[in-house]
Amino acid sequence: MGETVAKAEKVVKTTRREALRKGLFWGCWGIFIGFAGMLGISIVRYAYPRIVWEPSSTFKIGKPDDYAVGSVTVMGDRRVFLIRTEGGFYALSAICTHLGCQPIWEQDNQVFMCPCHGGKFYKDGINFAGPPPRPLPRFLMTFAPDGRMMVDKAKEVGLDFILKV
Amino acid sequence: MTVVKGEALRSRDLYERPPKYELFFPNFVMKELCVGLFFLIILFIWSYFKNAPLYELADPTKTPAHIKAAWYFVGLQELLAYFDPYLAGVIIPTFILAGLYLAPFLDPDPIKGIGRFAWKERGFAMYSFIGGFAFWWLLIIVGWYLRGPLWAFYWPWEDHHIIKPPPPPPWSFPLPAGIAYIIAFFGLGITVPGVIFPNFFYRMGVVRYVITMFLWTFMIFALAKMFLNNAFNLKYILVTPWFNI
Amino acid sequence: MKWVPLGLVRYTFCLGGLSVFFFLLCILTGPFLMMYYIPSVDRAWADVQDLSNVVPFGRFLRNLHRWSGTLMVICVPVHMLRVFLQGAYKPPRQLNWLVGVTLLLLTYLMAFTGYLLPWDNEAYWAATVGMTMGENSPIVGSKGPFSILSQDKDIAYILRGGTMLGQPSLTRFFFAHCVAIPGAMAGLMGLHFFNIHKAGGMSGPL
Repeated sequence: MGETVAKAEKVVKTTRREALRKGLFWGCWGIFIGFAGMLGISIVRYAYPRIVWEPSSTFKIGKPDDYAVGSVTVMGDRRVFLIRTEGGFYALSAICTHLGCQPIWEQDNQVFMCPCHGGKFYKDGINFAGPPPRPLPRFLMTFAPDGRMMVDKAKEVGLDFILKV
Repeated sequence: MTVVKGEALRSRDLYERPPKYELFFPNFVMKELCVGLFFLIILFIWSYFKNAPLYELADPTKTPAHIKAAWYFVGLQELLAYFDPYLAGVIIPTFILAGLYLAPFLDPDPIKGIGRFAWKERGFAMYSFIGGFAFWWLLIIVGWYLRGPLWAFYWPWEDHHIIKPPPPPPWSFPLPAGIAYIIAFFGLGITVPGVIFPNFFYRMGVVRYVITMFLWTFMIFALAKMFLNNAFNLKYILVTPWFNI
Repeated sequence: MKWVPLGLVRYTFCLGGLSVFFFLLCILTGPFLMMYYIPSVDRAWADVQDLSNVVPFGRFLRNLHRWSGTLMVICVPVHMLRVFLQGAYKPPRQLNWLVGVTLLLLTYLMAFTGYLLPWDNEAYWAATVGMTMGENSPIVGSKGPFSILSQDKDIAYILRGGTMLGQPSLTRFFFAHCVAIPGAMAGLMGLHFFNIHKAGGMSGPL
């Protein structure tokens, strides 16, 4: 009789010990994974810069008379094409909508051609050949009080936008 | 075994050499080092005569017309010229990597052909892999030798100074045709091989079979899109407001 | 005492060993290049010019670094081809295959970040294309399908350290090329070799 009790006690003890061992095992893993995850998240957070020094999205260009009718002006340092038509001006983004290279204006064919993957755009920014998925975006243009024009790269406008002069 | 007096006893004197075997160190390592030395000499001569490329200073205001990636990424550049950026830049490489990572788990046979070129027993796996591998290098060759300024296609005998006129506008499948094409392509690609080769299907098991055939069909799908783009000037198979394929 | 089968070094030129060899050569030459190179957008290109035209043996060292890197980019995929064709990814070597594919990916990333460092035209536009690819990734990129993050929070913003390519980007590429990726590669290579040992040696002729 006493032997059986002792045996049962022993079994209970072993199972308890086993459970404790398992709990410790998974607990340790949990703590490890938790720490690794926290480390990973903090590294990603660290990689986000809070402050960046980048040029303003708004900039001033010349007066309307500075640009000939039908001309395409490449403003490479601002990554913008300024186009004057008979009706007025519009500003196209000079960043190919495919993978970000700067298209080249081909005067002979009157098209923009991107050197990186062969994207082609009409003068109004519509993509017509090659891989680009979207037309070149147009930016908002306004007149500054001194008669010069302003381009705001942060504001995209529709494909029919033209700054009338 | 004779041990010369005065010399230290080395482990290789103590053990019998199994037939057709050699010691990892030093015998095998020395052979590897000899191959390394051979390539080191070649590399020294090469580095003396051939300079590493260095182009003009980066000009963020203007992309040069003849821009081309380093040769090992020209294949990717060539691929990117056919697809939307999210497909060629992210989805396709992810699928290639997924296929590579899954290879040991998709192969149903754990022992066949280890350590030798078992062309007969593992033909499907081997030829699939070689096909994909060769295609990657083919893309590199096309991108490097047959692409001229503005990423236009030039045969080797054509003059790169003549800028090619822009191609005619491409067209896309209408939405129902696109959906039908994709469903038919993947449906047939996944079911037909199993119907033709039932043994293959039973040996693989459903999950492995479907994953393998999906990856395989995806590869053929990308190839077919490139072919349609080149031959029929097709831009998109599927056009939706959120994404295009 | 480890015995390996005779004739392991054969016509396939022990490609895995060669990859390690070229990696070590890059590790040896890289720090010397670092002595003259400053990862600044104003100075990087000029430093590389200096290195190849003024510094004694600088050009040779740079060539050696570049060409051994190039050979590594050839050797690693061909090594993978050999491993696949000989079924060396099968049990007990599955884990090693996974480590190997990761090493292949890291090799390509190494090559990519490496050729951005001279900050020449090729580098700048390759970086532009690479980062725009990140921008276009589904969900985590700002321009990709189903994007949920804005342009100043997406994955390309982390990689570039800003919304456009510039000094923070070059610094990050430099960190990745010189510290992060080679460190990860060295660790994984150790695991790769340990796994060969654990799996009982090579599967067949190298």
